Amino acid sequence: MDNQNVERDIKATLKKNWKLFKQSRLGITGLTIVIFFGFLAILQPILFLTNIWDEATYHPVVGYDAEQVARTVVECPDQYPTREYQTKEDCPKVDEVNIRYLKAFNIQVEVGDIYESNVQPAPPSSRHLLGTDSLGRDIFSQIMEGSQVAFLLGLISAIIGVGISTLLGTAAAFYGGKLDTYLMRQSDLVLMLPTLPFLFIISAFAELKVWHLAIVLGTLGGLGGSVITIKSQALQVKVKPFVDSARITGGSKRRIMFSHILPNVAPLALLYMVFSVTGAIASESVLSFLGLLNIDMSWGIMIYLSQTEGFIFTGLKYWWLIVPAGLAVTLLAGGFYLVGRGLDDVFNPRLRRR
Amino acid sequence: MLIYTIKRFFEMVIVFFLFLVISYLLFNAIPGNAFSSLLLNPLLPPEAYQKTIEAFGLDKPLYERVQLYIINFFKGDFGYSYTYYPRTPIDLIAERLPRTLMLFSIVNVIAFYTGFLVGKILAWRRGSKSETWITIGSVFSYTVFYPWFALMMLWFFGYKMDWFPLGKFLVPEKWYDSPYTSDEIFYTLIIFVTVSSFLLFLIFIFTRNIESLQNRRNVRFLGLISLFALAATYWTNGEAALKRFYAADIAYHMILPTFTVTLVAFAGTALLTRTTMMEVLKDDYILTARAKGLSQKRIRDRHAARTALLPVVTSFIFTIITIIDGSVLTESIFSWPGMGQLILEAVVQEDIPLAMASFSFIGILALIAHFIADVSYAFLDPRIRIKSEN
Repeated sequence: MDNQNVERDIKATLKKNWKLFKQSRLGITGLTIVIFFGFLAILQPILFLTNIWDEATYHPVVGYDAEQVARTVVECPDQYPTREYQTKEDCPKVDEVNIRYLKAFNIQVEVGDIYESNVQPAPPSSRHLLGTDSLGRDIFSQIMEGSQVAFLLGLISAIIGVGISTLLGTAAAFYGGKLDTYLMRQSDLVLMLPTLPFLFIISAFAELKVWHLAIVLGTLGGLGGSVITIKSQALQVKVKPFVDSARITGGSKRRIMFSHILPNVAPLALLYMVFSVTGAIASESVLSFLGLLNIDMSWGIMIYLSQTEGFIFTGLKYWWLIVPAGLAVTLLAGGFYLVGRGLDDVFNPRLRRR
Repeated sequence: MLIYTIKRFFEMVIVFFLFLVISYLLFNAIPGNAFSSLLLNPLLPPEAYQKTIEAFGLDKPLYERVQLYIINFFKGDFGYSYTYYPRTPIDLIAERLPRTLMLFSIVNVIAFYTGFLVGKILAWRRGSKSETWITIGSVFSYTVFYPWFALMMLWFFGYKMDWFPLGKFLVPEKWYDSPYTSDEIFYTLIIFVTVSSFLLFLIFIFTRNIESLQNRRNVRFLGLISLFALAATYWTNGEAALKRFYAADIAYHMILPTFTVTLVAFAGTALLTRTTMMEVLKDDYILTARAKGLSQKRIRDRHAARTALLPVVTSFIFTIITIIDGSVLTESIFSWPGMGQLILEAVVQEDIPLAMASFSFIGILALIAHFIADVSYAFLDPRIRIKSEN
């Protein structure tokens, strides 16, 4: 009987909150983006399992597909600009091949012929939606793998971080005294740690995998500034009358803390969790962009590769190597941020429009 | 207030010692001998080897090494850098630190000011179309993957448009027969920027109390023009006229990084200002001000924005820590030879003494910033001030 009541209550609150959340357009946009990337992350294993995608071709790390592309043979001029080509980088175009290059391999062709060859990186086609990279690997599959990594890392680190900071923050508010002082100084120490150099040093002596990084980021986030915020929220709850009445009716300290104070801090903790996902995704991408992470594939590594292989300054000619990965990081991090903003509207009644 | 400051100061000192110990233990935890790459470096003579062993007490037990490290930190003695052999880590840091601080303090001031303006307007126009678009823009620049964005900027403005140089600190060809070293010129630049921003600040402070908005704008405009005239006379007379050519070279290299980081950094302040401002606008005294019949602009700038400024100012001071953090990326992308690049290089090449020294210095900088933020918050927020006095 009692259980049913509680269930109905929870359902009603969720329904009400969902209604509030729906009103914020930014929040809904964010949720759509997050769901889209979640769908991408789940889609890849399904495609492999149902054999729609062949692993040998589409695997994000070891897959290989040489695309046969018919290209027109042209001769690049010595002087620029000409009518067709503005600068040296424009010739040959994506669907053209330079005759001098073919002559160097003793291939006899004439200008204007069609020459079929393997192209890497291959431009987007119906077979490879976003083309392939310079090793013939499918970019779309890499994006999917990257979103798996991002979700895994973001969620693990957020859960660890919020778990730690909620427990410590509530404990600091509830017990006060020496524990409080100690925890506050500890979060000072963590706050002043310069995160990136710290992660560099850790990566210098540990082979960082995704879940290692998730634990490190989660712990750092959990011990840092969020403890202070959650403590201040818990302090506000602690002086409410229902805590006093719970104490008078003989509730033990632990019971008061876990069943009366924690549920009231939870919304703020959820908010922190969503925001910290943004930070975690960005840090992972930064570390793999600098080549300090020991993982096979992620969005950061895709950008790292396109930079080290020199495609980044070719501008829009090889856009499928540069734009999708960068946009994916930006969009997913932004999506989580927007969801956080939407939740902020729900849990922060003062900001509501009415 | 004084007691609060002193208490915080002592706590900070304790935290700092903890930080030193932890950072030593962190380096000590590197598997194998952290200093082993020393043995493999043929550039290092035996004296340097001996010196490093003595400076870090490598033949002593752990607790003595920690003690020695803390003592050496205050002496500023970190042995030699492996990669830049005759130079010491302190020497290198003294060279690199001003460059980082200069670049990022300019960025921060600009970003803070524009961010505050944008945030103010965002909150004021809540619900309008322009608010949605500016918010989307700010969220994009707040969450954009920074290295990617910086590379795109570098490609577009540096390579495609060829307006700005592709990174680096200066063009070496221009400096072959230069009578000055780049550091001398750079210090002149630093002094110039500090003095002129101080004067600018003074102008704003003194015109703050002019009641009429029209008059205030005119006086500020006059002040700005005279400041420009002053700067122009400084650079055309005396020794500065000779330095002008080289200073312009360095300043030219600073434009693109400054612009890029500002675009990314202003959004955080804008979004924060929007939130605090919106909370303030719900308050009763804004309604009172409206009822009094004050102009909209006056309510926005004088009544609401003043109160909303408080959390934004503290977040501004906190960004000193993120300056150092963000500098690593910016500097490695724009090849700006500052602290961030130094520490990345040191970690990648396992130049342990240099890495330790720069990590500890970054820590102490962050600590000072944190201390200032704390005290100024207490000073600015009357609730904390009164609580600590009782």
